[in-house]
Amino acid sequence: MAAPMELSCWGGDWGLPSLHPESLTVMAYAKFSGAPLTVNTINNSWRTPKGDIPVLISEDIVISQPAKILNFLRKQKYNADYELSAKQGADTLAYIALLEEKLLPALLHTFWVEAENYCSVTKPWFASRIPFPLSLYLPGKMSREALNRILLTKGGPPLYSLSEVEAQIYRDAKECLNLLSKRLGTSQFFFGNTPTTLDAFVFGFLAPVYKVCFPRVQLQEHLKQLPNLCRFCDDILTCYFRLTISDPALIISLQMDDNLRKSPQHPPRKLTTLKLAAGGEESPLNRLSP
Amino acid sequence: MWNEGCVLLMGCSAPFSLKAFLQMCNLPVRVVCRANAEYMSPSGKVPFIHVGNQVVSELGPIVQFVKAKGHSLSDGLDEVQKAEMKAYMELVNNMLLTAELYLQWCDDVTVEEITHPRYGSPYPWPLNRILAYQKQWEIRRKMKAIGWAGKSLEQVLEDVDQCCQALSQRLGTQPYFFNKQPTELDALVFGHLFTILTTQLTTDELSEKVKNYGNLTAFCRRIEQQYFEGHDKDNSGTAAPRSAKRSLLR
Repeated sequence: MAAPMELSCWGGDWGLPSLHPESLTVMAYAKFSGAPLTVNTINNSWRTPKGDIPVLISEDIVISQPAKILNFLRKQKYNADYELSAKQGADTLAYIALLEEKLLPALLHTFWVEAENYCSVTKPWFASRIPFPLSLYLPGKMSREALNRILLTKGGPPLYSLSEVEAQIYRDAKECLNLLSKRLGTSQFFFGNTPTTLDAFVFGFLAPVYKVCFPRVQLQEHLKQLPNLCRFCDDILTCYFRLTISDPALIISLQMDDNLRKSPQHPPRKLTTLKLAAGGEESPLNRLSP
Repeated sequence: MWNEGCVLLMGCSAPFSLKAFLQMCNLPVRVVCRANAEYMSPSGKVPFIHVGNQVVSELGPIVQFVKAKGHSLSDGLDEVQKAEMKAYMELVNNMLLTAELYLQWCDDVTVEEITHPRYGSPYPWPLNRILAYQKQWEIRRKMKAIGWAGKSLEQVLEDVDQCCQALSQRLGTQPYFFNKQPTELDALVFGHLFTILTTQLTTDELSEKVKNYGNLTAFCRRIEQQYFEGHDKDNSGTAAPRSAKRSLLR
């Protein structure tokens, strides 16, 4: 039996289990691979972990970046990429690089740099979840880091002003969304019928753009014109995260079926609940355990 | 008449990628070396090309420029393949390019022994040291922003290995990444791998990582033979430094 694992991450809103792309990626991967994680969302208490979020704690081991957390889970035999071929594994790395280079800057900009969005939505939301007096300082720091990252990686000649950089990063992000949509096509997930690491990353990046209600929403509007990507996010939310909307702590810490835990390699959980449309809404919980 | 300016002393991969790309498009190119190439370039980055009255710099914009003139290597790909190609190009930029920069500018031993002298060599003292430190500071700031500052050399080499493994698996036994015809991705990968295999650093660990993958070294050799042999005679008119004459076939 694996040691108990605890994940600390930012909480959710607007129907999402988390607003933070990296936290969402890890949570989605845990769902896909069946890893029993206890999720602690950061709330207004002094137990806020310092440093990078999300962070996974298992016995004495503390791991902080999504890629490292996912590696750790795979070593504990929670492997959502079990059935992928070597080439598909290579494609996964390539598409994740595409997301980080082309989509992430615009995502950071929408959340942390666009003044109207930051002041009316992002800052109050994060500040309400951080204890005073850190709430006065931390959101500002996150915003400055986001701007810094955008300018250092995308700024520089021949783009000389922030507005030119902004125009370029949104163009890149829209192109990235188009490429993802073409790659997904009509499939349920990026590699067939079972969700994998790539699906976790794409979901982690797309869902906040899709669901959070900002005043300035050019990226969201572009995403809504790509129905297969919207359907992809909605399916994952409905089938893997549905019950977390009511009570996050209780639902996410549900343990896996003992039968599954006995096998040496935990195969990824197949999505069995997608035919709900025909028969009306059933509780996915009954269907998920085989 | 296509001209190209490059700083061969920097051990940078972009000139090789660009030259490979232009050769693959069957466009004749003349290589010219200038110490102040970075300042001649409109974006401050090398390489750049000078065509008639126009100057275009960096691989991405040059590919677009060439495409607008009617030459493209990826026209035969379908939409999904084009998406894949762009994703792999980002992977190379994200991992290989960053790793090369890290090794050149963040690894203290390499910085002291190789990078600083090489970067500052066209200039007199103290300008050579000042410019080198300025560049180093700029690169380190960028590494910090993207989270690479905390990485150790072993972790960077592991990332390079992971990237090479992905490229090797994608290439498989095919001659090029998208089977029979070379594309921008082939040019880009060639540029990076060729640089890694031929640039002398304090350790061989980086080039060893690439050499572990036989199909990648064979790929580089094939492109070098096909597109670079015999074209070198055209460049004998310029004062290309002897140290920059590189070859995988030794």
